[in-house]
Amino acid sequence: MFGYLLKRLIQMTLVLWVVSVIVFLMMSFTGDPVFMVVPIDATDAEIAQARRLLGLDQSLLVQYGKFLTSLVQGDFGNSYVFRQPAMTLILERMPATVEMVLVAMALAIVVAIPLGVYAGANPNSRISRVIMAGSLLGISLPGFWVGMVLIYLFAVHWGVFPSSGRGDTAEFLGLRISLLTWDGWHHIMLPAITLSLGTMAILLRMTRAGMMEVGRQDFMKFARAKGATRRDVLYKHGLKNALIPVVTIFGLQLGDLIAFATITETIFSWPGMGKLLIDSIYRADRPVIVVYLMLVALIFVVINFIVDIVYTLIDPRITLK
Amino acid sequence: MKYLSQTALRAGAVGVAVLAAAASMAQAEGKSVTIGLTSDPSHLYPLAGEELSSNIMYYHLYDPLVKRAGDLSFGPGLAESWENVDETTWRFNLRNGVSFHNGNAFTASDVVFTVEKARESIRPDLVANIASITAVDDTTVEITTPKPYAVLPNDLAELLILDEEYTTATGDTDMDLKPMGTGPYRLDQWIKEEKLVLKAFDGYWAGAPKIKEVTFRPITNPATRTAALLTGEVDVIQDLAVRDVDRVKKEGGFSVITRPSLLNVVLAMDMREESPTIEGKNPMTDQRVRAAIAQAIDVDAINKIVMNGLATPSDQYVPSSHIGHVDGMNFREMYPLDIDGAKALMAEAGYADGFTMTLDATNNRYVNDAQIAQALASMLAKINIDLQLNIMPKSNFWGYIRVPTENSSFIMSGWDVPSGDAGSMYGALFYSRGKKDGYGQVNRGSYSNAEMDALVDQADSTPKIEERDALLQQATKILMADVPMIPLHYEQDIYAARDGVMLEPRVDKFLWAYDMDVK
Repeated sequence: MFGYLLKRLIQMTLVLWVVSVIVFLMMSFTGDPVFMVVPIDATDAEIAQARRLLGLDQSLLVQYGKFLTSLVQGDFGNSYVFRQPAMTLILERMPATVEMVLVAMALAIVVAIPLGVYAGANPNSRISRVIMAGSLLGISLPGFWVGMVLIYLFAVHWGVFPSSGRGDTAEFLGLRISLLTWDGWHHIMLPAITLSLGTMAILLRMTRAGMMEVGRQDFMKFARAKGATRRDVLYKHGLKNALIPVVTIFGLQLGDLIAFATITETIFSWPGMGKLLIDSIYRADRPVIVVYLMLVALIFVVINFIVDIVYTLIDPRITLK
Repeated sequence: MKYLSQTALRAGAVGVAVLAAAASMAQAEGKSVTIGLTSDPSHLYPLAGEELSSNIMYYHLYDPLVKRAGDLSFGPGLAESWENVDETTWRFNLRNGVSFHNGNAFTASDVVFTVEKARESIRPDLVANIASITAVDDTTVEITTPKPYAVLPNDLAELLILDEEYTTATGDTDMDLKPMGTGPYRLDQWIKEEKLVLKAFDGYWAGAPKIKEVTFRPITNPATRTAALLTGEVDVIQDLAVRDVDRVKKEGGFSVITRPSLLNVVLAMDMREESPTIEGKNPMTDQRVRAAIAQAIDVDAINKIVMNGLATPSDQYVPSSHIGHVDGMNFREMYPLDIDGAKALMAEAGYADGFTMTLDATNNRYVNDAQIAQALASMLAKINIDLQLNIMPKSNFWGYIRVPTENSSFIMSGWDVPSGDAGSMYGALFYSRGKKDGYGQVNRGSYSNAEMDALVDQADSTPKIEERDALLQQATKILMADVPMIPLHYEQDIYAARDGVMLEPRVDKFLWAYDMDVK
C-alpha cells in the first residue's frame, strides 16, 4: 500500500508539472494579456507600466521560474485581470460547482442503475426499449439546449422553478451551502438535472451492457437454482460483478463535470468555477488558467485513487500494488 | 456643449410606463431593485482596471470631482466649482461637509493622494493631462496641466476620489473587495458571480438615494437574462438580446428601452506606400480608392440584415453631442452607396481590376462583428476588391493590430469617446505616428497630415472650449474629405425593464441606480 501511494504521488507531481509547462507554452500563443488590461488608446509608456506591474516584462522562462519558486512556497500567483490570488478566485467558486455536480451525480445514479439493471435483465421487454431510446436522447441532446428548454418550460412558462442563480445558502464549516436551504434546493434542481442527463445515459448503458454480460455467466444460474430471489440475484450477484466499468466511468464523469461544468453554469448563471475558466481563457489570464488546470489534474488523480480503492471493495481479488 | 440630437432623444430617453397607483404604496420605504448585468465586475477599486460592469459599480461607490450626467453634460461633483487661474492652472473648490462611508471627511489631501496613486497604478492614463496637483487648503486644490488643456474637467469625471487614510491602510488587493468612497451607495455584500448588493448611503451629499437596496446579478447568457426578467427574478436587464426584443415587447408588463451608444464601429485603412497584406504599391494611398471603398459599403443593408435594424449609421467620427462634431455634415451624404461611381473612382485611380487585401476583425467584441466582416467582403467584391477575412477573438486581436501595425492593411474596430470630446480620439487615431509622445499611438492606418497635426496641437493648447470646438470641427472636415477611416455605425444599447421601473439609459452605458426609481 505504501509503495502504491508513493508511486501515485510521483505520478501526480509529474502530471501537475507537465500541465503547468503545457499551459505556459500554450498561453504564449493566445494573445498578450496586457492588452486585456490597459485602455485601448494606452500609450507605450502606459503599457510598459502595466506590463511591469503584472510581471509580464520578463522573458517567458523567467516568468515560469518565478511561478515555480513561488509555487513551492504555496503562492499560486495573482490573476492579471482580477489582481487577486488565483487560488482564492477558484476556491471561492468551487463549493457551488461541487455541490451542483454531486446532486447531478446522485440523480444520475438513482435513475441510471435501476433502469440499467432492468434493461440488462429484460433486454427484450418494451419498457427496456423505451429506456434505451431515452438514454440515446440523453447522450445526444446538447446540454445548453436542454438547459434552455428547461428554463423556458419550468421557469418562464410554468413558473415552478427559478430560471437562474443560486438562491439562499447556509453556512456550514465556513462554506456556503445551498443544499441546507429549501430555496437552495429549489435553485439547484434545473441545473443539476441538465448536468446529469449525459452522465445518466452513459451510466445506464454501461450498467445494461455489464448486466447482459454477467447474466450469461453460470454463477447467475446457480444462484437462482440455490433459491436466491430474482432481486438478490440481480443486485447482489449480478450488479456487483457488472460494476467495475460503471465505477470507472463514474469517476471520470465526476471529475469531468467538476472541472468543466462551464456550459451549465453559464446558462443558469450558477456561480461556479467553470465559468471562471472560460472567462480567463477569453482574457488570456494565464495565472488562473494554470492553477485551474493543475487543480483539475489533481482532482482527477484523487478521484482515480478513490476509484481504485472502490475496485478492491467490489472485487476482493483486486489489490493495490 | 451641444446636446444629443432630437432623434437620439426620441429613440433613447423614453421613460418607462407608470404602473397603477395601487402598486406604489407597497414599497413606500425600502425600495429595492434587482438588475441583471452581462457580467460580474472584475474590480471595485477604480485604479485596478476598467470594464463596463466595474465602471457601473465605481460610480455607485465613489464620486469624481466633476460629474458626467447621463447625456454627457458635465457639472459639479465633489468639486463645487472650478476656474482657470492662468492658461495651465486650474483651481477646484471642493464641496464642504462630504464624508466617506466610514465617516472620514473628504478633503483636498484625498484628491492629491488619488492623483499620485493613479500615476503609479495600472491606470496612469487617468491623470495623463495633470502635471502637478497641490492642496491649497482643505477645500481647494490647484491642478496644473502640461499645456493649456480646455477639457480637463471632462477628464476628471473619470477620476474617482479615494479616501487617503483608508486606502493606504487597506492596500490595493483588498481595496477590490472592501471599497470605500463618497458615492450614493456602499457595498453590502459581494458573492462573486452570484450577486452584488449595494445599500443606500443616507449621508450622501446630494441627498439620500430613492432606491435603498440595489442588487446586481451577473447573467452572462442572453437568453437566461431574458428569462430572469420574464420570471420577475430581476427588474431590469442590460443588453437584451436582439432576437428577444419582439418577445419581450409582446409579453406585456415589460418595456424595451433603446438608445444609440457611443461606440462607433470604424474601418481603418492603411496609408503606407506598402501594406502588409497587399502586393505591390498600396492602392489606398489614393484618396479616390478610399472614397470608392466607402461608396461600395451599404450601411443600410448591414443595419437591416446583420444588425436587425438596431444600429444607427454614423454621420461622422464622433456623435453629435461631442466637441468637434460639425452640424449638418454627414458621411453618408458625402459618400453615398454608389457602385458605379465607386467603380469609376477605382478606374480613375488605375485600379479598375481591383486588388486583394485582408480585413482583420473580431468575432466576440462588437455586436455581430464577424457577420459584418462577411457582409463587407461581398460588398467590396462588387468593385473588384478581393477581401480576405482574418477573424479572431479579442484576446488576440488587440495585440495583432497594435501600432506599428505590422500585419494589417484594413482593420475593423470600435471607438467610443465618453469624455464628450473628439480631441482625444483625433490625437490618438489621426495624429502622425511617432511625431509626439502620447499622440498617434493608435494611428493604425499611418495617416499623416501636417494640417491635421497642427489643428490637434492648437486644440490641445487652447484653454478656451469654444476655440477647441472650432479647431476640432476643422479637423473633422479634413478627415471627412481625406477618409483615412470609414465610420460604419453606432451600436444600440438595449435594455428591458418591468413596468414601474423608471430608467433613462445613460449614453455611456453606466447604469446608475441613483437616477432610477421604482414603483
